[in-house]
Amino acid sequence: MSEEAILEVRELTTKYITRYDEDIYAVDHVSLKLESGKSLGIAGESGCGKSTLALSLMGYYFPPLHYTGGEIIIDGRNITGIKPDEVRKKILGNEIAYIPQSAMNALNPTRKIINFIEDVYRAHDPSKSKKEVYELAAGCCNVLGLPPEVLQKYPVELSGGMKQRTVIAVSVMLFPQVLIADEPSSALDVTSQKMVIKMLKNMMDNGFIKSMIFITHELPLLYNVTDDIMVMYAGQIVEKASAKEAVFDPLHAYSRGLMGSIIVPERGARDVELAAIPGVPPNLKNPPSGCRFAERCKYAHPLCRATTVELNDIGGGRAYRCILSESELRDIYQKEADRNAR
Amino acid sequence: MKHTLRQVFGSPRFVVGFVIFAFIVLLVIIYPIFVRSEPLGIIGQGTFFPPGIYVNAYDTVGSEPYTLKLDNAAAKRLASRLSDQQRLDKKDWLVAAGIPENEIDPANTEKLLEQWESNYDPAVIVPGMINARRNYFVRLNASLGGILATEAAIIAEMNAETNTLEETGSVDQTDYVNINDVPNKRLLPLGTDNFGRDVLTELVSAIGTSLLIGIVAGLIATTIGLTLGLIAGYIGGFADDIVMFFTNMFTVIPTFVLLILISYSIGQEQRGAVTIAVVIGFTSWVWTTRAVRAQVISLRNRDHVNLSKLSGHSTGRIILLSILPYIASYVVMALILQISSAILAEAGLSILGLGPKTTDVPTLGLMMNWAMIYQAQVLGYWWAYLPVIITIALVSFSLNLMNTGLDQVFNPALRE
Amino acid sequence: MKGYFRYFGGKVVWIIITFIFAFLLNFMLPRLMPGDPVAVITQRVTTGMQSQSGIQAVYEEYQELFGTNKPMLTQFFLYVKNLLHGDFGTSFSQYPRPVSDILRSSIWWTVMLQLPAIIVGWVIGNVLGVLAAYLRGGYDKVAMPVSIFASSLPAFGMAIILLVIFAVGLDWFPTSGGYDVAMIPSLSWAFIWSVFIHYQLPFWSIVLIIIGGQAIGMRSMAIYELNSDYVKYSRFMGIRDRRIILYVFRNAMLPQITGLALAIGTIVGGALVAEIIFSYPGLGTTILSAIRSQDYPLISATTLIITLMVLITTFTIEVLYGFIDPRIKAAQSD
Repeated sequence: MSEEAILEVRELTTKYITRYDEDIYAVDHVSLKLESGKSLGIAGESGCGKSTLALSLMGYYFPPLHYTGGEIIIDGRNITGIKPDEVRKKILGNEIAYIPQSAMNALNPTRKIINFIEDVYRAHDPSKSKKEVYELAAGCCNVLGLPPEVLQKYPVELSGGMKQRTVIAVSVMLFPQVLIADEPSSALDVTSQKMVIKMLKNMMDNGFIKSMIFITHELPLLYNVTDDIMVMYAGQIVEKASAKEAVFDPLHAYSRGLMGSIIVPERGARDVELAAIPGVPPNLKNPPSGCRFAERCKYAHPLCRATTVELNDIGGGRAYRCILSESELRDIYQKEADRNAR
Repeated sequence: MKHTLRQVFGSPRFVVGFVIFAFIVLLVIIYPIFVRSEPLGIIGQGTFFPPGIYVNAYDTVGSEPYTLKLDNAAAKRLASRLSDQQRLDKKDWLVAAGIPENEIDPANTEKLLEQWESNYDPAVIVPGMINARRNYFVRLNASLGGILATEAAIIAEMNAETNTLEETGSVDQTDYVNINDVPNKRLLPLGTDNFGRDVLTELVSAIGTSLLIGIVAGLIATTIGLTLGLIAGYIGGFADDIVMFFTNMFTVIPTFVLLILISYSIGQEQRGAVTIAVVIGFTSWVWTTRAVRAQVISLRNRDHVNLSKLSGHSTGRIILLSILPYIASYVVMALILQISSAILAEAGLSILGLGPKTTDVPTLGLMMNWAMIYQAQVLGYWWAYLPVIITIALVSFSLNLMNTGLDQVFNPALRE
Repeated sequence: MKGYFRYFGGKVVWIIITFIFAFLLNFMLPRLMPGDPVAVITQRVTTGMQSQSGIQAVYEEYQELFGTNKPMLTQFFLYVKNLLHGDFGTSFSQYPRPVSDILRSSIWWTVMLQLPAIIVGWVIGNVLGVLAAYLRGGYDKVAMPVSIFASSLPAFGMAIILLVIFAVGLDWFPTSGGYDVAMIPSLSWAFIWSVFIHYQLPFWSIVLIIIGGQAIGMRSMAIYELNSDYVKYSRFMGIRDRRIILYVFRNAMLPQITGLALAIGTIVGGALVAEIIFSYPGLGTTILSAIRSQDYPLISATTLIITLMVLITTFTIEVLYGFIDPRIKAAQSD
């Protein structure tokens, strides 16, 4: 495990420009560090900006998404200033790879899988012959648990789960440094989910990819998959912690709310009341000046809405965004637990 | 609904199309109020009078003359009388007589005449020129002399008793008449057609008829298409099979052919404008049926429809309340398209001679037909066919624009 | 391969049924027309004849010849029998020339003109459509309204405009006919050149109209495809735009081919009218003169031939589609 960050993001800010020329800052000064050999999970509800963050990390922006500030450094190289053409040639696919949501539709319906792979290679490394490409592809499939017959098929001939795994396999064929998986299992049944996650872990273990970012709205999933977890809310990171800490000892009120709203199928589950977080996320057209979660936070002070809240780094890779100190928070949570126990 | 209307009128394409179309419709409605003449009335004795203001020559003689002294009146008079051929002939003679060719400009009337004046001599024998041609030049010179005369034209009437011409008045070359004094004049902005009818009046009436045919045919076709599409799409099963069977058949058999056959069989006598509209309507419902059916099929499995079914609503009610509103926008667009294609279909039929009876009302297609039979396009009588084509194109274009605009409103993926 | 047979077999059966139906329509409709064409011919042939009984005899003879004195059903069977021998009957207006003879000469002109024109127009139109969708911006803002205008123009409108500008105005091309009237068809260079020159205007009028229609449709399809997930993913995998345009073209083309099959009837109709404008010696002019002279064997036969041609074309396109769309191929191969 090297200490060196394979991906470092500093204060990345990107916005959407709507048809009416309004700016929506979907990713607001986000910073993160991903070390080689490690995987990072990003959790949050729909619309919090996690997918946008994933897209922004690639360094290639499609309108209406625009880059406004910050830096992205991959393996020591700052890719922020690079021209879009260069980005497509050098970075997309072989430094950072992206697996889209519902990857089922990501494959060209009129192209055989192997032909598509050939196209990918032709864009990055034209020197490889068709035979070489086929061997590489077949090799990948074998390692990742995909039957090599898949290569000769058209997407319409594969099932949903199979398509997803194929897309994942294709995405790593160029051995990218970082793999960004955007809700790779959300559209699948439970069995397929398991296979996808197994595949991803397999890839990390086998060195196909050096690191991974796993995006989902299902927090408990991350515990089994990633080393560290980041929770996002309204375009900002509200908590960073190791997987274990994030799931069993969350500090931010939102993270706690997320964990509290999960059904655990165990004895006595029927008697547990699901705690939903009331309210809705703020409109990012005019984000509130203070803490963005203040509206829905159980523990909010009047000060919360007034002051801009920065990320509070408490060392050991943990950080959270709240004006209260760690001890104050733990106090509140303890009192609450005592009350519930009675 | 209000919101939809606002969006629709906010679309630039729709608005442009709508404005053009509205302008045309208004023209059709308002024009007859001002111009009361019969659209099919034959006013010109002769074919294809060019556009212009026609002033009664008889009346101008009798009207109050005003004396105006304008520059170049004589030269202009000459210029209009001297044909191109005559100019070239003069040039030939001058060149043969020794004037260098590059000094002669047949277009410059004054200069040409000057050169002619000073150089022409009937006595000169030009080598190589045959006698007949020499005589021609003599006559040419003499006729010119007549034009250059500065005397007045004499008006004489025949005295019934003495059987001689008696002078009753004269028209000086400097006499001008105020057009407002002339009682009989007619503005023919688009001239006359081969029969001698006023093209503009006929055109306006023709637009009206064609629009009527288009709208009637469009409504019929859309109604049939909508009904069949709903039945096929919603009820499905056997009904669907039957409808699709007929639809497929009518798709492949060219509508054009059907139109020809049916129109022909009805016979010349029975073909009124409305009859044609009905025939067109009954043969062009295919596309709409297909489109409506596709929409209905995608709608019928939606949750709200299933809820209605579960609630025990009758089929009719479900169709009316749960499905129709969703395809309403589609149907409106289909209607516009049908109207547009019906107008074109009528034009096509008329060109073949299978359109409405030619003695009843004019239609755009019929005007084209007559122009073609009388070879207007080859003979250069542009006013007989060009305005018709432009009108057809404009009507079609405006309808299509409106359609594209609506499409953008209802289908956000196409928005820019 | 079995799946293929099933796919095509169904289509063949259906085409045959459609043809029978069209055939029936073709036969019945003209014969429902009021008026007696035999009387017209008789009148023409017997001008100057004084004897009433003589005229009557001529009339009866023609009736016998054309079979109009028999009941409809008998006429029908006679018709079918003759048809199977390739005998379409005798033309009324060009009597005694047999209809099949007239058709034989017209068909080739029409097919040679329309087939290439439709193909060329379709290809160019679709390419322009894809370009418009891809380039957007200024190109789109100009090209779109122009295309809309061009497609609103009826086929004969375009024909007349081209005729007036290029034939009458600029005198670059002849105004009518398939070849110079003074020439006799032969394989000489002069004749071939004459045919070529006469070919241009009708050809380009048809092509331009088709381009207008196709470009618009293709543009919408291409825009739709460009916004699809697989395009985004391909881009994210670093695949170049040039290749992506190829993807989009291939995928958007499929519904366009289907659309062509559906619209072929209308396109042919418009092209026939264009032929008429140029007095081109094809089926268009044939049908026009047939209508004008109330020659219903000729009308019947011409419409039948046109229907048959359209049916064959539609069928061919559907067959081609089955080979091109891999989804169908894939569904059949298991």
